[in-house]
Amino acid sequence: MTAAVALELDAVGFGYGRDAVLHDADLRVREGELVAVVGANGAGKTTMLKLALGLLAPTSGVVRLFGTPVASFRDWQRVGYVPQRAAAASVLPVSVDEVVRSGLAGALGLWRRPDAAQRARIAHVLDLLGLAAVRAAPVATLSGGQQQRALIARALVTAPRLLVLDEPTTGVDAAARATLRASLEHLVHDEHVAVVYSSHDPHALRGLADRVVEVRDGGLHDVAPAAAPAPGGGR
Amino acid sequence: MDVLTLGFMQRALVACVVVSAVAPLVGTFVVQRGQSLTGDGMGHVAFAGVGLAFLVGVAPLVGALALTVLAALALYRTERSGLAGDLSLALVFYGGIAAGYLFATRSGGGLNAVLGLLFGSALDLTWGQVAAVVALALVVLVAVVALYGPLVALAFDESAARVAGVPVDGLVLTLTLVVALVVVGGMYALGLLLVSAMMVIPVAAAAQVATSYRATMRLAAAIGAGSAAVGLLAAYAGDATPASSIVLVAIGCYVVATVVRARRRRPRAAGSVAS
Repeated sequence: MTAAVALELDAVGFGYGRDAVLHDADLRVREGELVAVVGANGAGKTTMLKLALGLLAPTSGVVRLFGTPVASFRDWQRVGYVPQRAAAASVLPVSVDEVVRSGLAGALGLWRRPDAAQRARIAHVLDLLGLAAVRAAPVATLSGGQQQRALIARALVTAPRLLVLDEPTTGVDAAARATLRASLEHLVHDEHVAVVYSSHDPHALRGLADRVVEVRDGGLHDVAPAAAPAPGGGR
Repeated sequence: MDVLTLGFMQRALVACVVVSAVAPLVGTFVVQRGQSLTGDGMGHVAFAGVGLAFLVGVAPLVGALALTVLAALALYRTERSGLAGDLSLALVFYGGIAAGYLFATRSGGGLNAVLGLLFGSALDLTWGQVAAVVALALVVLVAVVALYGPLVALAFDESAARVAGVPVDGLVLTLTLVVALVVVGGMYALGLLLVSAMMVIPVAAAAQVATSYRATMRLAAAIGAGSAAVGLLAAYAGDATPASSIVLVAIGCYVVATVVRARRRRPRAAGSVAS
């Protein structure tokens, strides 16, 4: 059975003033599929992701999330977003637990506190990302890799079917990249989550990405399938 | 503590402690969003509102409330229109002070009363004014408790909050309106120029020693309330102005907190290993 399309860009165009950043961009990402979006700094990767999430409105074309135009999409619990880490720097002390819980804000609304299932999900994602031991620690005292994983845990706390990550390995060490890769492998293979992952490094997800799409000259270009199977991964 | 049997001190204590405990609760979100001067801008607009109230002959509280609510809406619209945050704040800031001075001078005998509200007069409060302060503080408290989760998400990361399904636009507007309520609530006791200090300084002090957002918020409220009580008593003992005394005590708390933080870090820095 063909997996459902989680994200679809249909002839999407966008520009700042007269400067076109994207034109006629097409992309389909199905559940259980990992698509790496690569390109030079400033090529338009973040713009493309923001269009995909409805944070920017396209000047032409349509973006759909799970078949619904993004402008009228309301089921945001099915979507997780990990922005660039620098964009999430905290002025005041904030614990890992608080960052992760904040991902439930839209689902909880006013007054309500996480129920037993949501608390169990928080514990699960903290465990999945190796953060259980530092749950109460201030995020600012953690390594760059741990901070990045806290943001990923926040995005995963609603058990999304689509996860969008913007340059998640910027400024993190090799060990943290390996942990992140293992977490993504679990999400895609075992939980069949659709993942869109942007990176300036075209080899960032070699062996794990189903497709690699390059943002270049305002367009999206399929550049290569997964170049080599991941060790023991079979992909 | 015979001083606490004096009616004017009781009224001042209730009003100053309530405002100074509630202001940092809101300040925690404002500071985290990098908008520490929003309260200050609102204070200038409230100044215009008070001047207008004297000019047209209505209660100062009504004039201040009306203009700060309008300013909150204007600030929200200009921010969302893409104007840089500090530029939209500056427009509101200078517009408020210019209009306030114009209205105050046109209101004749109201000028001194308007200028008096710039620094507050906690020792001259009536129980009616104290009741208004407590009522506004309760509204702010209920708003913060009800909106705590969404506000935390907004303060941490606006884009991620939007993708998580938080109604960001309405929440930003609500937060700006709540800031306006704090400013108006504190104008009699702390003054329009210094009330916003209690939204920021206790938060800055608490952030030096707290390890979580919730702890920062609670400690900031305690520092605010404590600064108000100590500052007011010190002002009475030293024949000083209450608002100045309260803010200076809060700044003293900030200095103490930075020293505590530095002393905590010293041994850890010598013996820690990066993880």
